Amino acid sequence: MEDTELGKKSLNRREFLAGTAAVLAGGSFLAACGGSTSTPSSNSTNYTFVLIQGVKGDPFYVTMQKGAQQMADKLGVKLLVDGPAQFSATLQAPIVDAYIAKKVDVMIIAACDKQAMIAPLQRANDAGIKVISVDTFIGNGDYASGPVTFPLSYIGSDNVQGGKIAGEALIKAIGNKGGIYIENVTPGISTTDQRQQGCVEAIQATNGAVMLVGSNYDNDSAATASQQVSALLSSSKGAQVNGIFGTNLFSAEGAAQAVKNANKQGQIKIANFDAPQEAINDLNNGAVDLVIAQKPADMGSTAVQYGVYALTGKTSSIQKRVPTGYVVIDKTNVNDPASQAAIYKSS
Amino acid sequence: MKVPDVAIPDANQSQPRKTALRPLDIVSRGWSWLFLLLLIIFFSITGQGFLNIYNFQTIGADMALVLIMALGQTFVIISGGIDLSTGFVMGMASVTAALVMSHMGGSVPLFVVVLAGVAAALGIGLIPGLVNGVIIARLRVPPFIVTLGMYGIARGAGFILSGGQPVSIQTNGIGQIGNAYLLYLLPDGRFSFFHLPSNLQGIRPSQIVQLLPFPLILLVVVTLICAWLLWQTRFGRHTYAVGGSEEASRRAGIPVVRHTILIYVFSALMASLAGVLYTMRFSNGAADVGDPLLLTSIAAVIIGGASLLGGEGTILGTVIGALIIAIIQNGLIFLGINPFWQFIAVGAVIILAVLVDQAKKKLV
Repeated sequence: MEDTELGKKSLNRREFLAGTAAVLAGGSFLAACGGSTSTPSSNSTNYTFVLIQGVKGDPFYVTMQKGAQQMADKLGVKLLVDGPAQFSATLQAPIVDAYIAKKVDVMIIAACDKQAMIAPLQRANDAGIKVISVDTFIGNGDYASGPVTFPLSYIGSDNVQGGKIAGEALIKAIGNKGGIYIENVTPGISTTDQRQQGCVEAIQATNGAVMLVGSNYDNDSAATASQQVSALLSSSKGAQVNGIFGTNLFSAEGAAQAVKNANKQGQIKIANFDAPQEAINDLNNGAVDLVIAQKPADMGSTAVQYGVYALTGKTSSIQKRVPTGYVVIDKTNVNDPASQAAIYKSS
Repeated sequence: MKVPDVAIPDANQSQPRKTALRPLDIVSRGWSWLFLLLLIIFFSITGQGFLNIYNFQTIGADMALVLIMALGQTFVIISGGIDLSTGFVMGMASVTAALVMSHMGGSVPLFVVVLAGVAAALGIGLIPGLVNGVIIARLRVPPFIVTLGMYGIARGAGFILSGGQPVSIQTNGIGQIGNAYLLYLLPDGRFSFFHLPSNLQGIRPSQIVQLLPFPLILLVVVTLICAWLLWQTRFGRHTYAVGGSEEASRRAGIPVVRHTILIYVFSALMASLAGVLYTMRFSNGAADVGDPLLLTSIAAVIIGGASLLGGEGTILGTVIGALIIAIIQNGLIFLGINPFWQFIAVGAVIILAVLVDQAKKKLV
């Protein structure tokens, strides 16, 4: 231990102070950056909204943010946007607490866990903040008569329905017979689990014409998904697979890579849930065959609209549940304006 | 801060040199305090609403999970080891606590349900702790490798126990304890302990002053126990000794193998305690709830002045380390800064901490 200490160049006093100064200067630089993110509104109502995303930087949530920002600009409210670095209630709860302390008027949130986020959001509601769910829900999502009723509305896709739409489209693409394999993300994420459930329901509805070959979890890694599908295709079950449903982008991309490596591109159809630009590129170059797009921008703009309704007393205009629907994109309609509008924006 | 020997080198210092260095000596010893203070002043001036009792209680309550894990990790790091399994041990314990608590019906008194959940979580936490400790101490496999293996095993076990889904607790009382405050003050002068006064007609929740959240109280108690353990007991002295030199400790008659096992058991128990706290605060348990906190908890220990080479570190240092991280994360929100900057800020502080540590050694 002593030897390694001697080997290193130790800092002298001046270097140490310079280092301290550099970090403090960095702090003020951060502060300077912060000032520019706020957007003062023209017909200012002085309302501050926060959109707390499920995970920061995901194209789905970026698109939602764009929709929310457009509506916020139109209605003249200030919109802050934040979110945890990972999709985790452990990391999201402190962010909620900080915005309660910051005293925002409306909190629009894609809760990372339907049970764990109830208590933090209850605190927000108790502090007089209007809470609106987007994308995901808390409790059972029934804010009219379920166990949790304080959020104003749940605005988001019905993921069971989405999985069903994906499953039906995939079944049609493989000619209404054969086997389907599901590549899922991580156990316990309500949205992706529901997509799998919806797809399984679609398969069961074929009364045995189509069967479920199996499913696996790739931990949101395309590399893992690729390994799993490669192993599947080289196993005895491989010949039974005609279609693969990837419940998110990485799952579908990994599956597509494995199918390509096995020289089965085109023979095995792949459906991808969610529509960032990458998914559309995959569709255009034939790696995947179907893309199921949600409408995150609609979720964001409706939520901001609802927040303003709530603050201005127009509560009768607020519905407790707003399903936002889907667009199914394949090669035949990818260039239609409706499909193009549904593609998620990454910045 | 090599606590047991600190008096000896000081006594050997030549007096004039020491006097000359005193102001900077204070800065280098207390730099983390100073840095924390500067952060608080900086955010208080720049972040509107940051300086506020509610916000500081919130920071304290929200950092409890990380800090409890970090306190266990402090012992491990001082002993010259590392425990990478704490995140998923926390998750596994939270699942276990949630399973036990949700299966005990409404007829059982609440404190029995809580005690059963705590006992089950700590009980299951013993297993990875013992396995880690025995393999590291007896079979002499590097702690990094053993605990990385346990990271995966605890993760898998947590998912298997929970069936892959978060385990919810429907008993309302559990969540009420986890989110309770010690004291509630009403605007009309009434007050109550642990739960809201019954008659709240005409009073909005935002008018009630709440003091000392449950996780913060638990955190203070646990921190005091850890500080006592490290400073005042033979267990603590042996921890420094083993980290300073295992060979010398063995020759001095310290039961190194047994002590190392105990340290990893202690770390796993602390992670399990964090798991129970999560379960009580969020009314559910899931296998992956602790994983995002693992590296933050290690960062808190390092910022607090512990050396990964062993032999150095304090409980107070770890507390300050965790506070610095929590304040940066909270304060940047008040400044409206993109959360990605948090990583850069915390990363810079980790490097700064080690630089200061090296400068300090040169000075002393």
